[in-house]
Amino acid sequence: MGLILREKETAPCTVTISHRFEELSAHVRFDNGAVIHPGDTVEVQGPEIMAPYGEIVEEKRLATITRASKLERLWTRSTGDFEFMELCEFSFSNEVMS
Amino acid sequence: MNAHSRDSEALHSSTAATAEEAIALQEALPPLTNEDATAVAMQNTLLTPRFYTTDFDEMDAIDVTPVRKEWDVLIGQMKADPNKGHFKKNADWDDVDWDGMEPKLKAEFIDFLISSCTAEFSGCVLYKEMKRRGSNEDITTLFQLMARDEARHAGFINDALREAGIAVNLGFLTQAKKYTYFRPKFIYYATYLSEKIGYARYITIYRHLEANPEMRFHPIFKWFREWCNDEFSHGEAFALLMKTDPKLTQSFVNKLWIKFFLTAVFSTMWVRDHQRPAFHKALGVDPKWYGQEVFRKTSEISRQVFPITLDIDSPRWVRNLNRMEVANIAIAKGRKAGGLGGWLTRMGGTVRAGLAFVSLLTIPAVSNEVPQNPRLEPAY
Repeated sequence: MGLILREKETAPCTVTISHRFEELSAHVRFDNGAVIHPGDTVEVQGPEIMAPYGEIVEEKRLATITRASKLERLWTRSTGDFEFMELCEFSFSNEVMS
Repeated sequence: MNAHSRDSEALHSSTAATAEEAIALQEALPPLTNEDATAVAMQNTLLTPRFYTTDFDEMDAIDVTPVRKEWDVLIGQMKADPNKGHFKKNADWDDVDWDGMEPKLKAEFIDFLISSCTAEFSGCVLYKEMKRRGSNEDITTLFQLMARDEARHAGFINDALREAGIAVNLGFLTQAKKYTYFRPKFIYYATYLSEKIGYARYITIYRHLEANPEMRFHPIFKWFREWCNDEFSHGEAFALLMKTDPKLTQSFVNKLWIKFFLTAVFSTMWVRDHQRPAFHKALGVDPKWYGQEVFRKTSEISRQVFPITLDIDSPRWVRNLNRMEVANIAIAKGRKAGGLGGWLTRMGGTVRAGLAFVSLLTIPAVSNEVPQNPRLEPAY
């Protein structure tokens, strides 16, 4: 891991999407045990995945992990906390609708 | 719904006897491939949850021994899953006249549903990640149970959205997404507050509509009571977690953090709710009354674990919330206008919003004697 430079790696992953009445969820699990650190970026390769309504879909894919540089990781560790508002249901968009 | 989903009704997680069974059923359903996807002519809404990492070693090191008795009771209640049969549509789910709905109300109500769905979904992603990466069984069990509830809520809202012709799009998975970082203690403060304020918001609307049923313009509000009891028990779990380490709520610095979180969450809610005038008008709710009512309930509940509450009766409180709201409208106008003039409007708004926030933060807090046993039951 460089101080400034990012590094990329590829990891096999399993994507699970539940698009059912009783459960709406989507998760990515790395099959090789890759661990994500603050500031890393993950992109699942290939076309968009979506389960039809009422169903659960599981697909094996490859994911590109872009590792944050040392500086970025440090930055994310010290500022990430301020994104907590996302968890509240009233904090989604910035649009003023009136 | 298609045939497959009706088949899976037999294996519906809400018919399972235990939490483990429900989770196993959710996970055991046959995976299908994309080829089965049916194209639906619906308006697409991309969900954009955040992704988090945290200090998993620190989380694993949590020892619930000091609150073991209360902890086991709470986890037992969550495993028993009293709401497992609640999230089903029955005769109470009356028809919604989406086409007859006033367009502005429809737009705001849909925005409300989408933001609720996103919050549930983000909670689910966060909790599932904690569950997966942790190794402390007390903690992973809790997160698994909470992920179950959040996914169920998200599914329920998603169904209401589908009736309105809105399809959520989970395409974010194949877009690059950055993982941010949350210190464990901030996860406790923020999720505790978001669960408890969620409870206060839902129950306040529910009670209001109970008294004024003619204002209930959509059946989903009838489900709010049991729904918010899930939020309540999630909050209880975080209250117990915070109790395991007195420093988390009693040290000087952490008291400041708690004040910051309370102020940020309350003021964001105020600003945000004022952006939905038609929605509140249709419900017959004044957003200022609603805001204060929700803050009052949340403050009262949070006395179970937080050593301070905000002085929401201070004259500076509502005055500066209103300033923030006005500044926020200026920011949005500036963003819309673009150009140098727009930029200046935006910056002016940002400075004023910042000053109002600082003024809110400097209102002296009310100190609170925290009880030995924090456990509460939903009482509103």
